Amino acid sequence: MTMRSFFIGLALAIAVALIGYEANRFVAYLIYSVAISAIGALSLNLVIGFCGQITFAQGALVGVGAYAGGILGNAGWGGGLSLLGAGVFGALVSMLVGLPALRLRGLYFAISTLAAQFILSYLFKILVPLTNGVSGLVVKQLSLFGRPVGNDQEYAMICVTLLFLSWAFIGRVMQTNIGRAFLVVRESELVARGMGIDVSQTKLKAFLLSGFFAGLCGGLFAFTSRLANPEAFEIGLSVDQTAMIIVGGLGSLAGSVVGAAFVTLLPEAIQRLGELLPSADLISAFREMAFGILIVLFLLLEPRGLVALARRLGARREVASSSAVRSETGVVESGVAVSVQNRREL
Amino acid sequence: MKQLLVGAAVAVTIAISGPARAEITVCTWGTITGPDALVNGMTYGTRDYLEYLNQTKGGIAGNKVRVLMLDGRYKLDEELKIYRRCADQEQAVVINGWSTGASKALRDQIQEDGIPFISESFASEVLDPKKYPFTFIAGPTYEQQMIIALRDLAKKGGKKVVLMFSDNEYGRGPVDVVKKSGIIEKLGLEVVDLVEYRYDAQDMTAQMLRVKGKNPDLVYVQGSTPQVLVALRDAAKVALPAKLFVGNLYNISPAIPQQLGPAAEGFRTVQTYAFYGDNIPAMKEIEAYGQKNEVEKKDIYFIKGWLKGKVIAAAIEKVIQKNNGQVPTDIKAFRKSVRDEMEALKGFDTGGITPPFTYADHQGSVQARVAEIKNGQYVAAGEWIDAQ
Repeated sequence: MTMRSFFIGLALAIAVALIGYEANRFVAYLIYSVAISAIGALSLNLVIGFCGQITFAQGALVGVGAYAGGILGNAGWGGGLSLLGAGVFGALVSMLVGLPALRLRGLYFAISTLAAQFILSYLFKILVPLTNGVSGLVVKQLSLFGRPVGNDQEYAMICVTLLFLSWAFIGRVMQTNIGRAFLVVRESELVARGMGIDVSQTKLKAFLLSGFFAGLCGGLFAFTSRLANPEAFEIGLSVDQTAMIIVGGLGSLAGSVVGAAFVTLLPEAIQRLGELLPSADLISAFREMAFGILIVLFLLLEPRGLVALARRLGARREVASSSAVRSETGVVESGVAVSVQNRREL
Repeated sequence: MKQLLVGAAVAVTIAISGPARAEITVCTWGTITGPDALVNGMTYGTRDYLEYLNQTKGGIAGNKVRVLMLDGRYKLDEELKIYRRCADQEQAVVINGWSTGASKALRDQIQEDGIPFISESFASEVLDPKKYPFTFIAGPTYEQQMIIALRDLAKKGGKKVVLMFSDNEYGRGPVDVVKKSGIIEKLGLEVVDLVEYRYDAQDMTAQMLRVKGKNPDLVYVQGSTPQVLVALRDAAKVALPAKLFVGNLYNISPAIPQQLGPAAEGFRTVQTYAFYGDNIPAMKEIEAYGQKNEVEKKDIYFIKGWLKGKVIAAAIEKVIQKNNGQVPTDIKAFRKSVRDEMEALKGFDTGGITPPFTYADHQGSVQARVAEIKNGQYVAAGEWIDAQ
């Protein structure tokens, strides 16, 4: 993460947080929904996109954070500590989910995470004294600095701030040796070993970090929806967040945020457009279908996601404008297009 | 392409910027698409009744009603989003929501916002007129429906009961409440087994073999139509007759006799509203509406929706009458008055959908009768029983 992108991110976060604070409750809700999903997508991208470990347990890890945050909050812990606790519990359980990665690889490991998803979902239902079982845990209002967070606008500010901090933190980690080790493990475990990287430890670190942010995402979900129930953390949530990183861009921080925004807001946009037409159920069905079609299109046409698409379009525009300059001045600058393209890809 | 995208963006912006000017907005959401879409006639019915008033009486007390019907997809986050849209952006005077989960998650918010909220859920957890004065339901709770079936069994001399339920809130919650209430023992019945199944179960042969081993007089199924379809199909496999099984209101679906044929004969359900097509005054209204419009859902759930529409309209009409024929301009006061009027409904004439009821308890009619599938049709098989 460059200083430039850090400040762009900061400026955007401040702008969106301010919009959320001033907006009506519905818009504030959309903003914090995107922010919470984006934290989840960042967490998932860390494991899948950066470290190359396919996992299906994301929904359950978000659930662990939701229950942990809710239980701590209901026990009278402050909001900050409850969210931190949600992250810590998420991280610990995520490490357990990642343990099979020490022995398994590829599809076999992916299946072990799927098993973890189902086991955790089951535990949410049967650990009644902790989770209140299938009835779900009704969560008290989040309180920060001894003051309850009273409305959606305040939640929007908090969630956007935490999204920015998560994004900046993960971006910073990716610039350290740990982050570089993730990338090497993703590309080739053999090469990583050859370079002296402890592959098992690296994978566990990825799960630990990812689990912390999945837990944070869950904690925020519990406090904003005021309910943690098992049905919300099933495999469907894992699929939704995987879709976010595929659409946004695997292995891209910005892609996680863009993907989360796209996947969260697309149904609403289709819904609003559909309301201009007469048939409600047709439009609702189309909304589901459009989501599926988009995923397939992204996989086929731009597997690197929306961010890569934007970069490609940006590079093309730069090339077009530089050719216009060339034709005006008659100066030939061979290789400009290629170098711009390469710079953007990096 | 560019123009198309700009056009779409403008349309979305206009749509998100707020409602067109309308005097009375009522918001209703349901599972238009989703796992329990089979019963979404409840949402269509409410919308259609209010549209019927628009078409025949110029709305409520001559004021057009803007009805917003939205798809909650049985997803908590989607329903929470819709609630905020209805409450804040659309300035709805009454909201008709859907799932138990959303009704629970929103219950404090609803009271803070002071919006009359009718939930489709029959869960007792959302029903407490003192604690949640703005939340209403429209009929007997799941627990009361179960008690009605058990009373019917006790009356007929049955003894042994198996309770089957799905592994979610909808399944386990009411069974726990009834078990703990002690009413089963009071009725002289015995629960010989509790059988849980997955909400998305595709096979229940194992469960049915277990039920068969207990030789019960009645098997109460707390599930939705898709699970009852699986249960009855697999019961037939192990030679358990459908007449042993009783379900709740959400199992009155033509899909059951249509798909199972003879295997569904004798299956009983708790019926809390009149059937679609019954000879009742409300049906005449529906037929009149159907002459100019397409009635998309012709089932008991549509009838329930029609009833909710009637309740909403009656309360709003009374508020307007008391406000010298004017729609109150202060939305907060308007909502509060509508809530008060809903609670004050006494001997409310439902057009034959249910016996007349008083809404002070926030649930309306708590009477139901047992219905049965005979020759591929649901028919009433007993008298109205009070579940109180």
